Amino acid sequence: MKKLSRSFSLSLVAAGLLVSGTVSAESLAIINATLHTSSDQGVLEGASIVMNDGKITAINPNDFKVDKVIDAQGQIVTPGFIASVNQLGLVEVGAVAGSRDAGEDKAGIDFDASLAFNPRSSLIPYARKGGITRDLITPYVGDGIFAGLASVVDLSGSFESVNKKQAALVVHLGERSKGSRAFTLQTLINKLDEHQTKASKEAKKDDAKPSAEDTIMAKVLKGDMPLLISVSRSADIVELIKVKQQFGVNIVLNGAQDAVVVKDRIAKAGIPVIISAMDNLPGSFDSLHASLNNAGILEKAGVKVLLTVGGDASHNVYQLRYDAGNAVSYGMSQQGALKAMTSNVADVFGINAGSLEVGKAADVVMWSNDPFELSSHVNKMFINGVEVSTESRQDKLRERYTTESNMPRAYTK
Amino acid sequence: MMQKFAPSLLVVALGVAIAGCQDNSPQDEKVTINKNPYPSTYKALKSTTTLITNATVLTGTGERLEEADVLLVDGKVQQVGKDLTAQADLTIDAQGKWVTPGLIDVHSHLGAYPSPSVESHQDGNEMTSPNTAEVWVEHSVWPQDPGFNRAREGGITALQILPGSANLFGGRGVTLKNVPAHTMQGMKFPDAPYGLKMACGENPKRVYGRKGVLPSTRMGNMAGYREAWIGAVEYKRAWDKYDTDYAAGKNPEVPHRDIKYDTLRGVLEGEVRIHNHCYKAEEMAMMIDLSKEFGYHAGTFHHGIEAYKIADLLAENGSCAALWPDWWGFKMEAYDMVQENVAIVDAVKNSCAVVHSDSDLTIQRLNQEAGKVMYRANDNGFNISEQHAIKWITANAAKSLGIEDKTGSLEAGKQADVVIWNQSPFSVYAKAEQVFVDGAKVYDRNDSAFQAQSDFMLGQQ
Repeated sequence: MKKLSRSFSLSLVAAGLLVSGTVSAESLAIINATLHTSSDQGVLEGASIVMNDGKITAINPNDFKVDKVIDAQGQIVTPGFIASVNQLGLVEVGAVAGSRDAGEDKAGIDFDASLAFNPRSSLIPYARKGGITRDLITPYVGDGIFAGLASVVDLSGSFESVNKKQAALVVHLGERSKGSRAFTLQTLINKLDEHQTKASKEAKKDDAKPSAEDTIMAKVLKGDMPLLISVSRSADIVELIKVKQQFGVNIVLNGAQDAVVVKDRIAKAGIPVIISAMDNLPGSFDSLHASLNNAGILEKAGVKVLLTVGGDASHNVYQLRYDAGNAVSYGMSQQGALKAMTSNVADVFGINAGSLEVGKAADVVMWSNDPFELSSHVNKMFINGVEVSTESRQDKLRERYTTESNMPRAYTK
Repeated sequence: MMQKFAPSLLVVALGVAIAGCQDNSPQDEKVTINKNPYPSTYKALKSTTTLITNATVLTGTGERLEEADVLLVDGKVQQVGKDLTAQADLTIDAQGKWVTPGLIDVHSHLGAYPSPSVESHQDGNEMTSPNTAEVWVEHSVWPQDPGFNRAREGGITALQILPGSANLFGGRGVTLKNVPAHTMQGMKFPDAPYGLKMACGENPKRVYGRKGVLPSTRMGNMAGYREAWIGAVEYKRAWDKYDTDYAAGKNPEVPHRDIKYDTLRGVLEGEVRIHNHCYKAEEMAMMIDLSKEFGYHAGTFHHGIEAYKIADLLAENGSCAALWPDWWGFKMEAYDMVQENVAIVDAVKNSCAVVHSDSDLTIQRLNQEAGKVMYRANDNGFNISEQHAIKWITANAAKSLGIEDKTGSLEAGKQADVVIWNQSPFSVYAKAEQVFVDGAKVYDRNDSAFQAQSDFMLGQQ
């Protein structure tokens, strides 16, 4: 055990700090932890991690001075998980129109759904139960092509939760309920072409104020903002690889059930793939190769894999860690599965979190046991170095209906 | 439907009146209703005497046996215990592995909403009238749904296919053996009772409210059920009278035949079981009163997001509650989810808690779905064991479907529906390695000869 100099600010324990992310973080250290760093350092046994001012400031230092020390007693500590492609904070109840803000018929390329992000949604504390501390929220679109812009939020519950806007431009290609997929791909290509031409012309005359779309497409064409493209069929993916090569844009594939068919091309093109590990049914003629083995197969082929939750990904996002466990069960490496919901997401969308490394946001989770297991739960969670609770509305309901009382339940609060 | 109802009542009444005049005429041939016009043609695959040895066995009766053996003979469980000495054609060393009864999902739409989910395959909801008790979902089942194979790989050996929840009365459900077959009848679980799907709450009132017909409200839902049961009681009375009069040597007029009421009459006579999509506490309580008003059993409540609020009432009524571990928030009536719902329902004496899927994905991991409940409940003050939790997806599910005398537990004489798991089925890393239905191996993770593939998937590139 290393020599520690501790300055305790005695049991100013997190209770009072639970909700508000605006409270400045006390400095703290977790010692005697099994750190799953999600970095090149892999797993560090009996290790310590120091957080100060919202950031990770040291891993295994010889000496540190902090307000508070937590002895993990060997428990697993991971980076907070980063979910992606859901509508957390943009929906409360799926079928309640007034609580849904992720989609807009009139939306286009510059639609920024994060303006509607509600940090006080009941989905957020519930998602924390899954160890999720950050999230890429995405707009959706009915039959359109451009859904709008994705944003990165943290799950602190604070009004300052939106950390990064314009993290990706969300595009829907592939099968259509009517019309041809060729038209949508052509529309994307024409749009890129139009803005590429425009950019070269505008470089010459600097007086014209660019439109919002111009600015976004310029970022896309410079490779500063990825196109997050929902697509499944292998032939469609091959076409998109050509688009990447032609325009030099960054592409991230989402869904991609048949990506395994062209895995080597995808790996060679350096295109990350977001998949639901549990997606294993041929839902359409585009996804005949959906399989529980796909996450592992893509990983082995050298594709950067990101895991997302299928179905109602907003309400069920806490299950992401179980999906990771199943992915491991079907061939993905344990560390690869962890990266697929931490550092890989951070890398792809430019998020300064997702690994236990100095300088990263102090999103840190301490687990009762293997975080991928059904039996485990979050013991402690920090977002930007501030401890947050995983208690949710569901816990309040359970307590109400399992507490004996002579009065109607309504009096149990 | 309600408009059509009046004339058919008239016919019944007329029939009864006329019958009174024909008492002394010679008897016409007796009309009886064939209750099984689409009979099961299921035949168990070939099996041999199989001895599974040295496993951790969860019997489905609440017992856990270590280092135990399970003997399967002639398609039945013959013996479960330590150091069995039987002569078996096949001995499987299951050291370190777990053995459970085959899993049963009481709520599936496989075959009726199959993969691929193209327009042509949307056969689960007859959304043309709030009462379609006349439809039978077995007539929609596409046995080539690849989902059946995936579910078998997850240890599912029997499942109930239900029609959707758009209607107050959605139609008959059917219980299947999860074996590959190219006809529905080839999968049909012999002698399993039929189910009748009913639905409370948001779905019927939304679907029909939009069309400007009853129901557009929850009170409209209740009115719709009551009108239908009044008609069913009349229908049953007419046929009972016909049978009684005929037996007395009279020659009564044959009552009008209505397949919608055949099903409701089946419920009144206890032959068809209610499977009621119903989320909210106050609605389940009213559905129980409704059943008492018309003299039938309220059956199993499905989805029951708020079942934990009325756990005592459900147990008192002898109703099973088939629940998800954690689905919520997709509509208002699914807002009050608690992760311990199943455990709270289960904790009451004489309860019947079931974990169901209603999903072509989670049906593949019903064991994990039950595991989530067990662990979350144990995190919060419960003390639920694996041998107990397994009942939620085996014995209790069998009870809900009325097949508990045939399957759902590893007891001598039960059908040999068995799963061998690589480890505790409540681990996220658990995999079904071998699956047996009626003693015959229908799946083996390590032998492609026992990995069935749908016609649809054959030759796809």
